[in-house]
Amino acid sequence: MGVCTTLHTAAAAPPCHLRGFYQHKQQVLFYRNTAYTPRCGRAHSAGLAVRCSGAAGETVVIGLAADSGCGKSTFMRRLTSVFGGAAEPPRGGNPDSNTLISDTTTVICLDDYHSLDRTGRKEKGVTALDPRANDFDLMYEQVKAIKEGKAVDKPIYNHVTGLLDQPELIKPPKILVIEGLHPMFDQRVRDLLDFSIYLDISNEVKFAWKIQRDMAERGHSLESIKASIEARKPDFDAYIDPQKQYADAVIEVLPTQLIPDDNEGKVLRVRLIMKEGVKNFAPVYLFDEGSTISWIPCGRKLTCSYPGIKFTYGPDTYYDHEVSVLEMDGQFDRLDELIYVESHLSNLSAKFYGEVTQQMLKHSDFPGSNNGTGLFQTIVGLKIRDLYEQIVAEGASSPLKATTTKA
Amino acid sequence: MATIPSLHLPLVPRPAALASGASSRPLALRTTLSLRPIKVAGSRRMRPAVVAAVPESIEEKVVESIKQAEEVCAGGGTSGECAAAWDEVEELSAAKSHANDRKKGSDPLEEFCKDNPETDECRTYDN
Repeated sequence: MGVCTTLHTAAAAPPCHLRGFYQHKQQVLFYRNTAYTPRCGRAHSAGLAVRCSGAAGETVVIGLAADSGCGKSTFMRRLTSVFGGAAEPPRGGNPDSNTLISDTTTVICLDDYHSLDRTGRKEKGVTALDPRANDFDLMYEQVKAIKEGKAVDKPIYNHVTGLLDQPELIKPPKILVIEGLHPMFDQRVRDLLDFSIYLDISNEVKFAWKIQRDMAERGHSLESIKASIEARKPDFDAYIDPQKQYADAVIEVLPTQLIPDDNEGKVLRVRLIMKEGVKNFAPVYLFDEGSTISWIPCGRKLTCSYPGIKFTYGPDTYYDHEVSVLEMDGQFDRLDELIYVESHLSNLSAKFYGEVTQQMLKHSDFPGSNNGTGLFQTIVGLKIRDLYEQIVAEGASSPLKATTTKA
Repeated sequence: MATIPSLHLPLVPRPAALASGASSRPLALRTTLSLRPIKVAGSRRMRPAVVAAVPESIEEKVVESIKQAEEVCAGGGTSGECAAAWDEVEELSAAKSHANDRKKGSDPLEEFCKDNPETDECRTYDN
């Protein structure tokens, strides 16, 4: 969007910066002589009520629900990489902080809103999955404050010691991602989210992943891993799982159907379930939107190694919502398989041909880089970027009208 | 863990300070702990030393928590207590695996250059 004024002669014209993100600065919105930066929610001179967006205005809030606490999870790294820059813990702060900060994005771990620390939970006999162990009022207040552009002092839950440490200051970013077990549990927090994602890992795959993660460690055995999953299952099913009905996108990870009796869990069948009718979100589709497609790309033009790749796409209903489901079963072995698949998908919100492939290659060392988990996480990342740009464009295109702020 | 924040205060880390700081921490059960990650040029290695220490103690915590969880569940504790115990095991295992990932990726020179990009060692020539 070029928004430079044309009041000056060429000789005296100030440099007009038409870079990608220029429209996010407040200076763009004002053509009047009063030069002031708007803050949402405050009364302004000259009788203007401004609805802001982007940097100092309404922060875009994304919710991500996933089991087993937070951390430098792969999805977060892919997401922040799509926006550019690496996300890192705040410098000079608590080394056990769970927060990640990059130029545009701040990722907050919702474990920081535990109301009971580890000893407290042991005494009461509740798991971290139980809503009784979390302070939803504080979560709502702080997410609302950040969304409105105010900095907050957020508590830190130290996963190593199991204690609640001194708070850290979180300044409002352009994009706030809240990641954890309960981003969509509380209705008020849910209403603050601009987009929400749920990672639904099936029990067999979860078991296989936990074995890969824990078996090499001292102390763990197959029985202890199984017992740990079983013990947490009731609370998980009661409190965490129901959140998937509220998510705008669900990434469901299941065992493959291409290999009969597979129990290694290396090849995965991943389904991207996208809700229809979500503002600023156009679901990805294959070939023809709204029809049912089954596609095996391997053939004459593309040779794949065992077990190959299979895609399906189609409309469906999910918890009484209309959804579109894109499914990938199998894995990528070579770069050309990836680019071939990308060239046949539509509505990816990529900025150039091959962007999805480029992002996947950038992080080829991340787990899931050769299957649907990495592919769909990358695609969701691009969709979120598209959503963010649309929200900002909406805000910038109606700068001088009096608007009602979201109550 | 109370002494660990104090390790971040000195702005100019010195090898002597590092060695004494590391060995005075109550969690450093073995004196070889402070020497382990530092093979390259001695000074300015505060952060890797702290990161290297933590996985050791997390590992022991994981082992202990598994034992405890098995006791609680076998010894007829309520299902809530049993679930909370195994939840703790899960939390500590996740913390251990994240610490491992962090440790695997960290290059001492990159860590130093992130904080001090203007020093001679960290200059890059991009043209």
